[in-house]
Amino acid sequence: MIRKNILAILLLAPLLFLKPAAAVAAEQPETVCIQCHGSMPDRLGAPVNLWRGSIHAENGISCNGCHGGDPKDAANAMSPQRGFLGAPKEKDIPAFCGRCHPGVYKDYLASAHGRALGAGGPTCVTCHSNHQVMKASLALINEKSCTRCHSFERAKAIRDAMSGTEARIVGISGRIAQFQVSGVDTEKMGKALFAVRNRFHTLFHDVDVNRVKNESAAINKELDKLDAALKVIDDEHARRRVVGGIAVAAALLLAILFHLMKKTYD
Amino acid sequence: MLNRLYRWLDLRYGIGEIAEKELTGYLLPRNINEWYSLGSVLLVIFAIQVVTGMLLMIYYVPDADKAFKSVSFIMNEVPFGWFIRLCHAVGSNMMVAVLLMHMLSTLMMGSYKAPRELNWVTGFTLFALVQGISLTGYLAPWSQLSFWATTVATNSVSAIPVLGPTLVEFLRGGKLVGPATLGRFFALHAAVLPVVIAAFIGAHLFFLKRTGISAPPFGRDETANPFEAREYHYQGHPGGIPFFPNYALQDLSSISIYFAVFLAVVFFWPNMPFTPDAFVPADPFKTPAHIKPEWYFLANYQTLKIFPSELLGLSVQAAAMTFLALLPFIDRSPERHPLKRPLFLTLAIAGILLWIALSVWGHLS
Repeated sequence: MIRKNILAILLLAPLLFLKPAAAVAAEQPETVCIQCHGSMPDRLGAPVNLWRGSIHAENGISCNGCHGGDPKDAANAMSPQRGFLGAPKEKDIPAFCGRCHPGVYKDYLASAHGRALGAGGPTCVTCHSNHQVMKASLALINEKSCTRCHSFERAKAIRDAMSGTEARIVGISGRIAQFQVSGVDTEKMGKALFAVRNRFHTLFHDVDVNRVKNESAAINKELDKLDAALKVIDDEHARRRVVGGIAVAAALLLAILFHLMKKTYD
Repeated sequence: MLNRLYRWLDLRYGIGEIAEKELTGYLLPRNINEWYSLGSVLLVIFAIQVVTGMLLMIYYVPDADKAFKSVSFIMNEVPFGWFIRLCHAVGSNMMVAVLLMHMLSTLMMGSYKAPRELNWVTGFTLFALVQGISLTGYLAPWSQLSFWATTVATNSVSAIPVLGPTLVEFLRGGKLVGPATLGRFFALHAAVLPVVIAAFIGAHLFFLKRTGISAPPFGRDETANPFEAREYHYQGHPGGIPFFPNYALQDLSSISIYFAVFLAVVFFWPNMPFTPDAFVPADPFKTPAHIKPEWYFLANYQTLKIFPSELLGLSVQAAAMTFLALLPFIDRSPERHPLKRPLFLTLAIAGILLWIALSVWGHLS
């Protein structure tokens, strides 16, 4: 009886040292900007909630990423000595965003939108919103948004010319990612797609319909080459699966054959 | 022609006598079952690992700056390189899986009991060595997965009191995992461990040949082990079935089934041994979010996490491994039928369920 009790104690004792898995996870610390403004009402607190649904929040870009300041020191968080910039004036918005998006800034300035800056033309936040910053996508070119300033006709023509190309880029990107996680050397294709995608993104701020159409056609030719390269890999993998199927079937047949031969000796 | 060659060799080396003794005249128990063929399957797997490993060494460069690119080159440029690399990577997982099944059948059929204690001890050591060769091979591709899994694995050694930090530095060849670690692990993986494993396989087979194969505890024969420690006695099986052709065909059948499963994984589930981090070059400054060890280390990994100190986690694992290694010296009852050993069966099932639960928990955590 005593031996059984000792055995039970020995077997169960380690359980006393277990700790719940929930205790392992640690909370992420928030910046002092979020801590203060998050609890403020109205105008001063609203940006926090808007930011939480933004592409910036998704990518870990917090308030100080745009507005500067010290996100760890509540007392000096908004001190200009710590790099605090505050909110830009309307005509300064493109340059403000352009610190991190210089290519887009250049394209914007070259477009009709950029040329109208300071004369009633749109800035970055007109289309992408401020705080709840929306990811650059063709969905931003929509009737509701564009008709605030002009008719949708030209914008629609541009969007239609680009939507097919975007779908192709997304599709090819997915296929490359899939190959990459199965050991295929996708470095060259990845670089080529990166270049094509950048070229495509320059069109996002172009409002010249003919140029967008011509450029989209040229980009599609580049995508054709990537498609062809991916098809070669797809075909090769399909061939491997056929050979694999034959090899597996042959091994199973051999197993059955050896089993039947063994039966004849039993 | 074959007859002439046979007569020529037999006249000089007596191969007929060897064949009679080791093949046609080597009798096995009539109630022998399929589980006994797992040993032969493991020999085939080890041979495949050795051959594919040698082929990989032709192009693999064990240098931190070149290892990842060389593996990528093997996968993409070398003819059938992808196949050889996948066979090696999938094979290492299959070797652990089949080894676990082999050990489980030995446990259930009580084949580890006297006079076969050393068969078990050498087999158990082989299990530890196979885990070791898998761990050292894991670093070879120098990917994010390799780098961080090795960092975590070697770090756990630091929990050993007094010697821990020194041991970690010795294993890594420095404070952190780096080029020196790759050199050490590659030497262990490609030169030291294969030779040690081959030696232990030799010892395992030597003990098997000297004690004779055990009869299964169910079926036609008696369930009790007839061993009595008076004098050396080879356990033969008069009236049994010959190894060749009878059981050799069973071995071939099991090996073919193994190949079917193995090739199915290689051709249809080639990502099984990898995670996406396995295809990103090692970056010591970028820790991946969820780095996990191989499936057979998940229970160990989770055990280390659930105890408040790593030392306690390591001690519990060491105690469990020592208990298993010395099982034949602890469990001395001659009874081998699992249903007539209720305490053993309960502990064995509880142990297996605990291992599975810890592995699943480790995977999901």
